[in-house]
Amino acid sequence: MKAIKIQLWYGLLLLGILLGLLTAYRVLISSGFVLYAKTDILVWTMPIAAYVFFSLTSSGLAFVSSIPVVFNIKRYQPLEKRIVFLEIAVLVAAFTCLFLHLGSPQKLYYYIFSPNFASPLWWLGILYGLYLIILLLSFRKIQAGKVSRGLGIFAFIVAIATSTSLGWLFGLPDARPVLDANFLSMYFPLTGFASALAAVLMFSLAYHHFAQIVLSEGDKNLYDDLSKLFGFVMALTLVFFLWRTIVGGVSATAVEFAGFRHMLGSGWYHLALWVGLVIPIVLIAMPSVRTATWGKITAAVLFLVGMFAGRMEMVLTSLVMPTGPKAEGQPPFVSYWPTIWEVFVFVSALAVLLLIYTLGERHLKLAESTE
Amino acid sequence: MPKYAMVIDLQRCVGCGACSIACRNENNVSEGIYWSSKITETSGTFPNVRFHYLPTLCNHCSNPPCVTGCPTKAMHKLDNGITMHDPKKCIGCRYCMYNCPYEVIYFNWQDPHKFWKDDRPVINGGTSSPKEIAKKVNNGNGTPYSNPARAKTLPENRPKGVVEKCTFCDHRLKAGEIPFCVVACPADARIFGDLDKPDSKVSRLLGKFKPYRRKERLGTQPNVYYIRSYNPASYARTKGGI
Repeated sequence: MKAIKIQLWYGLLLLGILLGLLTAYRVLISSGFVLYAKTDILVWTMPIAAYVFFSLTSSGLAFVSSIPVVFNIKRYQPLEKRIVFLEIAVLVAAFTCLFLHLGSPQKLYYYIFSPNFASPLWWLGILYGLYLIILLLSFRKIQAGKVSRGLGIFAFIVAIATSTSLGWLFGLPDARPVLDANFLSMYFPLTGFASALAAVLMFSLAYHHFAQIVLSEGDKNLYDDLSKLFGFVMALTLVFFLWRTIVGGVSATAVEFAGFRHMLGSGWYHLALWVGLVIPIVLIAMPSVRTATWGKITAAVLFLVGMFAGRMEMVLTSLVMPTGPKAEGQPPFVSYWPTIWEVFVFVSALAVLLLIYTLGERHLKLAESTE
Repeated sequence: MPKYAMVIDLQRCVGCGACSIACRNENNVSEGIYWSSKITETSGTFPNVRFHYLPTLCNHCSNPPCVTGCPTKAMHKLDNGITMHDPKKCIGCRYCMYNCPYEVIYFNWQDPHKFWKDDRPVINGGTSSPKEIAKKVNNGNGTPYSNPARAKTLPENRPKGVVEKCTFCDHRLKAGEIPFCVVACPADARIFGDLDKPDSKVSRLLGKFKPYRRKERLGTQPNVYYIRSYNPASYARTKGGI
């Protein structure tokens, strides 16, 4: 029975990956990007929002991983191996989204042969490439039974650089005044950290559930501590989230105010606020829910759903107001709903993540504690 | 090295769109892409209304955000001031479109000139297919009316998955000719030249009339200038009142 369930699970994940391959063929080779709900106004949509979601979660996992390795809080050591492996799986999911977003990914070698050091996008590509290499080296070391503090510190620094560079990337354009680099360079690492805590809770507790392993008293206390930290970081995220709203509404220019109006009216915003922040914070604030496995998983899942909606809202708010010649014949705000092909991008990235993680959990003993 | 710039005289511009059509022909611009475009606005409320027309194109900024953001230098500056794009290096990230405050960069969402690749006859058994016509007239190279001169500095038809925009007809400049939109303008509303030459027509016009550029506050320093404004309306002299 168990074997059938596992085969079914692998079948589902392979189906997700096949959908991604089909999308890659249709978009990059046969039909083109007309399959996405992109227009000359909405040049970035769901694939880039999914990329931001996954890449920041991966950077955030480096922060969680740094708790035992960099800051020497040994209580979190048992989580180290799983976290580093999860970082790799999530990062590969982010790269999947990016691959399906780019118009000509086959020319990525120009990153090396024709670099533009002034471009945040160049730095981001190089830093995430470096990050993947460090993670692979770290995991190899962990697999051999050792944790490299040097690599851990390096990964921590690169993760700060990647998450803040993403803020630079979105904050650079004067063309998009609703985004602000100073704010995003703080907001991105913080929300990445919160997403990572949610992912660690979700994946670790799901593993124990599916492997039918009863949590030891020590493990239970560890996850309770982790959920308290998760609650605190979520509350901090809510404060930043509300400040962004207040600043947009009170002290903005006409263009920023238009972005603010759109943001308040969008379903993504309310999903991020209510489902992604308010409800999970309330859940985690209740001791009886916080200490229960289902409570932790529910709060983590809701937060991740809300965070994805938040990434969507942020990408769209910067683009939905047409300007210049592209505003000809357009309404003040263009609307967006993803096509099935854009959903396939997210589904395939998630399938890649889950397949890598499942294989790791089954064959690489991620529950093993490191020294 | 010259520093090329364009002056658009809005008093002469009649909004006929010949510049846009000429641009399409000269540069083999595909459907849905506009190297040369316009902004139209209606101000006031009926019956006191007015229609405004502003021709637009890439501003070839001296401080271009699209060039700063491009990770692979596909978008780059030439010594003569032109902001140029190289489809060979373009990875299709569209960060230049994200960065451009003027919305003048376009992306090839699909293969160019799709219509001319269709092998179905327009009338079954009656006519040939668009693909057959393109094949016969121009060896299947884009469209039957494709301009081979464009291929001197860019692919004759830019492929799917890369961005493109106005190049000030760099291929014509190399041959000592001015941009084709300037040639085609029936009202001589577009004046092209070298800003480094004090006696060039563009330098003289910029000294004679107060020019303005789009979104100057951003500091991008566009090299497309607008002068004067067309308005034939008049009104009786008045101090208003309350």
